[in-house]
Amino acid sequence: MKRAASLARYSLWQFRDFVFERGVPILILVFLWGYVLLVSLRNAMGPQMAAGRASPIWGLVLQAASTLVSLSVLIAVNGIVSTDRKLGYYRFLFSKPVNPVLYYAQFFFVCMVGVVASMLVLSSLMRTILPTFSIVNFLLYTALIYVAMGGIGFFLSVATRYDWVSLAAVWLGSRILRDLYGAKSDWRSKTVELLPPVHKLDEVANSLIGTGTAHATDVLWLLGYGALFFVLGLVALRWRSLAD
Amino acid sequence: MASVPATAGDDNGTAALVIEFKNVGKIYKSLLGNSVKAVEEFSLKVVEGEILGIAGPNGAGKTTLIAMMLGYLRPTTGTIEINGLSARQYIERNGIGYLSELIAINPKWRAETALVRYATLAGITHSEISQRVGYVIDLLGLAEHRDKKVKALSKGNLQRLGLAQALLRDEQILVLDEPTHGLDPVWTQRFRDIVEELRRPDRTILIASHNLDELQRLADRVAIIDRGRLQRVVSTGYENAPLVAGTRFRVTLASGHDLIRAVFPQAEDAGRGEYDVTVHSLAELNAALADLIGRGVLVASVVPERSVLEQQFREAVGESQ
Repeated sequence: MKRAASLARYSLWQFRDFVFERGVPILILVFLWGYVLLVSLRNAMGPQMAAGRASPIWGLVLQAASTLVSLSVLIAVNGIVSTDRKLGYYRFLFSKPVNPVLYYAQFFFVCMVGVVASMLVLSSLMRTILPTFSIVNFLLYTALIYVAMGGIGFFLSVATRYDWVSLAAVWLGSRILRDLYGAKSDWRSKTVELLPPVHKLDEVANSLIGTGTAHATDVLWLLGYGALFFVLGLVALRWRSLAD
Repeated sequence: MASVPATAGDDNGTAALVIEFKNVGKIYKSLLGNSVKAVEEFSLKVVEGEILGIAGPNGAGKTTLIAMMLGYLRPTTGTIEINGLSARQYIERNGIGYLSELIAINPKWRAETALVRYATLAGITHSEISQRVGYVIDLLGLAEHRDKKVKALSKGNLQRLGLAQALLRDEQILVLDEPTHGLDPVWTQRFRDIVEELRRPDRTILIASHNLDELQRLADRVAIIDRGRLQRVVSTGYENAPLVAGTRFRVTLASGHDLIRAVFPQAEDAGRGEYDVTVHSLAELNAALADLIGRGVLVASVVPERSVLEQQFREAVGESQ
């Protein structure tokens, strides 16, 4: 109980680490890409921006917003476990009465809170430009993508030293392979079904950010895939040596 | 030989067993299938109240052994138990005071902040953290560096910060890997004083070091490792250690230089009133010194050319090391 309380208190330090090491780069990305893009669009489109989901701009906004979420998750989970291993920080951290599995599980959720908070900033700014933009829907989408993509990133961070490259490769590779073979009816199409469900993202982004609803199976597929890899990451963390 | 059993408990049946290495081995395998045996068939018992030194040449397996003891590496064979639990289980329940050879602390953290973080993880209550952190900062002379970022600390100060985090809690077990690496002579001596102060009947301390003189002064026993194997366990006390035949001592005389060869016929003049003499037992040495003193000679110092540990180490790992 006392150990759990100590670890819970340490979450404040983990959140501080998130802010300085991950939150600041995410916010810079949000401002440079998201906000600046939207302001330029508003200046170019004028009153059409206010037309909401009927506007042709809406698709562009959705695309930019969902891409920013994916990049933010990539930044947030990059090195979440592997940095401590690569740089040897685990030595002093885990000579204390701390369970590494609980430590990193807690850090994963602290980063989730941080990503959602960062996206709250972005969505608040977007709402000033696009009044029909729903902050709640966008944050739900962010949380979903964090679990789906972050769960895989967490596993890769336990399993490899080059986790962000691996995650980007898995994410992009899945997209390409699904585009190439997903529609066919041979063994390859069956095989690509095992890959991360990145093909669901556009549809879920459209429906969840736009209307606040999405197909339950799509959401469960994304959540389940990420959660499964997150749990696999925790199991691997328990059984793999902390030192290389 | 001054080798003693690998079980201190064999000598001292009353002391409780704390750490037990049972036939521990570690093989590193590369992706290409090559393998390197870092540790082989290592068995040793360490008891409560003991300071155990671990000595060995570079690459002998000391750091691998410690990494396995902390549960950071899984042994390929054998087990390591601390107070009857697996090493990792014990540490996750109780913690351990650990100073690693490589001091890896996030360079962006400030010295004091790093200690507060470690104290939080160590389970020190919020109200006691500032007191405990202040204590180790004063103990290790880090007051003027407390607000510096870790990356701004010198090697010696970083080493002291590493030691400070190991001493944050009143741990039953301390593991110190190359603890005086990078320390200046003043802090090396201070470190030795601190370890002496840390010695108590219910605490077990492991010190891995290249510095045999340091281990000779601090440790009760020293496990000598070479090529991953335990070569021998040496008691550092002279009372348990008959001299190796032909041990050399340097005798410094303040007066009566002309009498030295009357007592030590083979004495070699090393200059400045110093003579190298060879004896075969402590009794022979003491009798000869008594004879010298009886003749009115003032003996300034008698220093063995090699400590008991150094002699044993050289025998165990070979003169080439």
